Amino acid sequence: MTTTTPDKVASAPPKSSGPGPAEWLKENLFSSWFNTLLTIVVVAVLAIAFWSLLSWAFTSAQWQVIPNNLGLFMTGLYPRDMHWRIWTLFGVVLALAGVSWGTLTRNAASLMTRPMLIGLGIAIAALIIIPALPRPEDAPAFLITPFAAAILIGLIAVAVAAAYIARSVTQKSPGIAQWLPLAWFLSYIVALWLIGGGLGIEEVRSNDWGGLVLTLLLAVTGIALCFPIGVILALGRRSDLPIVRGLSVAYIELVRGTPLIAILFMGQVMIPLFLPEGLRPDRIIRAVIALTLFSSAYLAENVRAGLQSVPRGQTEAAVSLGLNKPLTVAFIVLPQALKIAIPAIVGQFISLFQDTTLLATLGLIELLGISQSVLANPSYLGRYAEVYLFIGVIYWFFCYAMSLGSRRIEEQFNTGH
Amino acid sequence: MAVSETYTDPTAAQNGSGDPVIVATGVEKWYGTFHVLKGVDLTVNKGEVVVVMGPSGSGKSTFIRTFNALETYQKGSIVIDGVKISHDLKDIESIRREVGMVFQQFNLFPHLTVLKNVTLAPIWVRHWNKAKAEEEAMRLLERVGILEQAKKFPGQLSGGQQQRVAIARALAMKPKVMLFDEPTSALDPEMVREVLDVMRGLADEGMTMVVVTHEVGFAREVADRVVLMDGGVLVEDAKPEAFFNNPQEERSKKFLSQIL
Repeated sequence: MTTTTPDKVASAPPKSSGPGPAEWLKENLFSSWFNTLLTIVVVAVLAIAFWSLLSWAFTSAQWQVIPNNLGLFMTGLYPRDMHWRIWTLFGVVLALAGVSWGTLTRNAASLMTRPMLIGLGIAIAALIIIPALPRPEDAPAFLITPFAAAILIGLIAVAVAAAYIARSVTQKSPGIAQWLPLAWFLSYIVALWLIGGGLGIEEVRSNDWGGLVLTLLLAVTGIALCFPIGVILALGRRSDLPIVRGLSVAYIELVRGTPLIAILFMGQVMIPLFLPEGLRPDRIIRAVIALTLFSSAYLAENVRAGLQSVPRGQTEAAVSLGLNKPLTVAFIVLPQALKIAIPAIVGQFISLFQDTTLLATLGLIELLGISQSVLANPSYLGRYAEVYLFIGVIYWFFCYAMSLGSRRIEEQFNTGH
Repeated sequence: MAVSETYTDPTAAQNGSGDPVIVATGVEKWYGTFHVLKGVDLTVNKGEVVVVMGPSGSGKSTFIRTFNALETYQKGSIVIDGVKISHDLKDIESIRREVGMVFQQFNLFPHLTVLKNVTLAPIWVRHWNKAKAEEEAMRLLERVGILEQAKKFPGQLSGGQQQRVAIARALAMKPKVMLFDEPTSALDPEMVREVLDVMRGLADEGMTMVVVTHEVGFAREVADRVVLMDGGVLVEDAKPEAFFNNPQEERSKKFLSQIL
C-alpha cells in the first residue's frame, strides 16, 4: 500500500548477498545425509531417463513420419491447393496475438520476459538451422521444408512487430484496447470464412477439415460459447427466482454427473432428434454443442465460486447508491468475481482444449484422430512414440500459452487489493 | 483539510427545523426468533444531525440500515421524504437514490478508480453525462481533500482516504439524507480525525445526517440530538449537552459510565 506523500529519499534495501553456488548446493541439496542420498538417487533416475530418451530420439526413433505427414497433422484432408488459406488465417491470428500481447504488456516494464525472448530465439534459430541441415539429395525435408520455415519466420516477425506497435500505440491512447475483443470476434468470422469458403472463394466441406486446425477451431468455438453460458448459469444458480435457480442447479448437477464421452455420443445421436426433419447439423457442430454444454456446467461452478468470494458489502454499497440489480451485477459483482476466477476459468479452458481429443473416438479427424489415421498407414506402422510425442508437445505448447496468457491478464487486472 | 462551502441553510443546520426527512414509527424486526428491533420511533428533521449511540448488539446499525432498505422490517413504518418503504422494488430504488450511506468497511469498489467509484451511480442512475458527472466528482473529491488521488485505485489509499472517497461517492448522488454506520470504527486512530472533519463540514452545510458512532467528541460538538439504543429499544433522545451531562435514564447513565 502506498502513502500519499511518497518518500523521495527512499533508502535502498540492503544488498542481499545471496549464497554462492557452492553454499546454495549445500543448503538445498546436501543439507543432511538423507537429503544427500535423495539428491543422488533423484539425479541418477533423471539422468537415466533423460539419457534413454535422448538416445532413443537420436538413434532408434524414425522421425520421418512427422515431416512426411506434417500437412495432415496440421490440416487433415484439407485440399493441398487451398493451404494458402490456412497460412493466411495463421498470419491473421499471429498478428492479432501480437497486438493483444503488446496491449496487455503496455504497463509492464518490457514487452517480453527473458525466458520468452530465449524461447523465441531458440524457435527462430531452429527454423533456420533445421531446413539447412545436410541430407541426402532425394530425401524429403527434415521436419520442415525451407519454404514453410521461411513463412513461419516471416509470420513471427509480423507478430513481434505488431506487438511492438500495439504496445507503443496503447501506451499513448489506452482507449483503443477496448476494441481488441471485437477484433478477435471479427477474426473468428474471417477464420470460418477462410476455412469453409463461400463468398467468393471455393467451398471446402467440413468433412475435409481436420488436424490441428480443426482442434483449434473446436476449442476456440467451445471456449467462446461456454464462457457466456457458464456465467449465465452461475448467475442463475444464485438467482432469487426459484424456477431459474432450480433449472440452473438441475442443469449443472446433471451435466457434472455425466461423463463427457457419454455427452459427446448423446450429442451425435440426440441433437438431431430435437430438430425438425431434414435439419441435420454437421457432426462438427454437434460435437461443439456437446463440448460447450459440458464445459459450461463446470465453468458455471468456477464463476459461482468467484461470485461467492465478492464481499456482501460490495452489493450493499452498490444498491445503496440506487443501482438496480442488473447494474450491480454487471458493474460491481461480476467484474470482481471473474477476476478472482481467472485461474479456474482458464483451467477449464485448458481442459476443454484437451477434451477435444475425445472427438477422435467419434470419428472426427482432429489432431489425435488424424494421428491415428497416419499410424494406420502401413508405411508408418509402429511409429506410436514419435507421433504421440509430437502431438503431445503441440498440446502442451497451446495449454502452456493459455496459462501464460492468464497470468498476464491477472496482472493486468491487479488493482492492489 | 479545507472545507470551503457556503452554508446552504444555516438555520436548519442549527435548529433542525423544517420538514421531517425520516419518520420511523414502531419499527420491529426479527432475525428468525431473535427480536432485534422492538418498536423504535425516531423522527429526523431536515438539516438535523442525529447521533445514535449504544452498546454493540443494541440494534443501532440494523435500525439505520432499515432507512435504505438494506434490512427489512416486519412491523411499523418508515417514511423517507414522504415515501413509505415497502417491499415494492421500484420504490426501494427511488428511496435509495435519496439516501446516502457510508459503511464501517468503506466498501469502495476495488476494481474501479477513485473517480469511477464516484461517477458510476450519477452516470447510470441519475443519467448524467460523463463530463458533468466527472466535474461534480472532482469538485467533491477536492472538498474531501483527495483530488490528487482521483486516478488511483482504492487499494492504493489509506483507510482514512478510502472513507473520504466513500463519503464523496455517497454525496455524488446529491442525497437528501446521509447515513453513517460507524464510519470511523475500522480506522487507525490517526485517521479518525480527517474523516470526522469532513463529516463536521457536511453538518455545517446543513446536510441531514444520522450517524452511528462511539465518538463522544463528535456527538457533543456536532449533533443536534443524541439517541441511545439498547436491546432493540430507543432508551433516550436528548440534546447532546443534556444527554452527556444529565442523562435521564438508568441505562444511559450506565452506558455513559462505560464509555466516558
